[in-house]
Amino acid sequence: MSTITSLMSRIFAGLQFENSCDVGVFSKLTNAYCLVAIGGSENFYSTFESELADVIPVVKTSIAGTRIIGRLCAGNKNGLLVPHNTTDQELQHLRNSLPDQVVVQRIEEKLSALGNCIACNDHVALTHTDLDKETEEIIADVLGIEVFRQTIAGNILVGSYCAFSNRGGLVHPHTSIEDLDELSTLLQVPLVAGTINRGSEVIAAGMTVNDWTAFCGSDTTATELSVIESVFKLREAQPSAIVDEMRKSLIDTYV
Amino acid sequence: MEMPRKPARHHRLLPVRPLTFSPFARSVARVATAYLVKHHMHDAMQQSAGDEFKEKLKNIDRQSESSEDEEFDGVVQADFAFFDPKPDDFHGVKTLLQSYLNNKQWDLSGFVDLILGQTTVGTVVKLEDDEDNGVFSIITALNLGRYKDHKCITELKEFLLNLCHEKDKIGNLRSLLGDEAQKVGLLVSQCVVNLPPELLPPLYDALFDEISWATEDEHKNANQKRSSSTDKDEAFVYIKPEDEILHKLSMWSFLFPLQTQQVATHELKNYQLTGIVMAVKAEDISSFRQQLHALINES
Repeated sequence: MSTITSLMSRIFAGLQFENSCDVGVFSKLTNAYCLVAIGGSENFYSTFESELADVIPVVKTSIAGTRIIGRLCAGNKNGLLVPHNTTDQELQHLRNSLPDQVVVQRIEEKLSALGNCIACNDHVALTHTDLDKETEEIIADVLGIEVFRQTIAGNILVGSYCAFSNRGGLVHPHTSIEDLDELSTLLQVPLVAGTINRGSEVIAAGMTVNDWTAFCGSDTTATELSVIESVFKLREAQPSAIVDEMRKSLIDTYV
Repeated sequence: MEMPRKPARHHRLLPVRPLTFSPFARSVARVATAYLVKHHMHDAMQQSAGDEFKEKLKNIDRQSESSEDEEFDGVVQADFAFFDPKPDDFHGVKTLLQSYLNNKQWDLSGFVDLILGQTTVGTVVKLEDDEDNGVFSIITALNLGRYKDHKCITELKEFLLNLCHEKDKIGNLRSLLGDEAQKVGLLVSQCVVNLPPELLPPLYDALFDEISWATEDEHKNANQKRSSSTDKDEAFVYIKPEDEILHKLSMWSFLFPLQTQQVATHELKNYQLTGIVMAVKAEDISSFRQQLHALINES
């Protein structure tokens, strides 16, 4: 593995997919892999690639023939869940491109925008209140995490209105203090209520984040960026340390 | 009649060309073409730049048959209001202008900022009491000379020049965008698909009134860039009714292909989506306004 220079700040702002600042719609980032939608300029893909490719695989893909991959799938370092309308080719491509320890599973859930319905890190998930019981079990099983049905500021699309890593999280700006406390206890990470892309409440659409880096849309203001940097503890994040830690536990699976 | 502005709540939309912004707008989108119109117009326009906003209110009763949805009784009450552009409108206006330069990546946010910074000229159409602060239409005019140093304007000019493949017109276009830019206004007009056409005459009236109030230059050329739709059989179908009038009045115009994903209605399925760039003389605008009134009021 090549050496990583540790930067003081690991946020990449100024991203656009075509003319959209909705980074979190066209990508999905975890500690083990990154998915990027096909289409859009090479700049979008290359920003992810240049930052991440030494550490984790960056995979171009579509899901269900669409580019809105970030909103359709949910995953963490243990697995990736894709909706029922994912094609066989896409499924195969993902299985081929992602590390073996990442289990890619297509699930029969009627709420097919999994990325809008599920928000998770490597330990816990928040889900849409109407999610199938079976889906909840698959999340717990495949992603290896605890599942909580929740709303955020009265919104059932929990996957849209928050983004959290193993170190911190950003939630809908109108989340009450009581809800913030409750969610923070469930997730066991510090949370802050805020916005992305110049006042947008749809947090997960405007950004994507893992334990050492965040990618934000180009409308994100300096204030918003500093909040993100602070709550996700990105200032002195060292990706090499984090990935090494993960890899130690994965060594067993190599033949 | 003064109305206080609601505090902003930003309603962010996921991309892929959204057409509807709120539960109300979704109802409107389901309404079919037949409708009844009732006019209530309060003319409370205020001239000076110091005033916060102006408004015209229109109540529109829309009645229609909607075969798809039995629960929906087909009547949608909409109170549209006209406002000066404000910084809060950023997301709504940006969404409307998402495909303004086709798929070209450019400083769209900067362009929207220019529009919103110009509070004396331009109108944003929103609902009276909309929590979501959804923007249904934006209309404004930007003086190309005044904003020539802005990155978005430079990119826009480059885009237009690259579009024009007709030798006899490119000279005209170049001069309008170049040495004549001080006298040229770019008309920016975009609205949601089902915006009631009754709103168009007062919207355009307001714009051109504001322009003449804001400037003393009588011989201003209005350079307009818009989308319209044409088909291969040389019958033009204009998505925006005002485009037909402008096209007839224009000094010159040229067409260009559109790559954006526009939702084609059933009737327009066989038509190819095409953009049009038109140059219209300022002195023809009063004729435009009359014709627009006539067109909308008689249909």
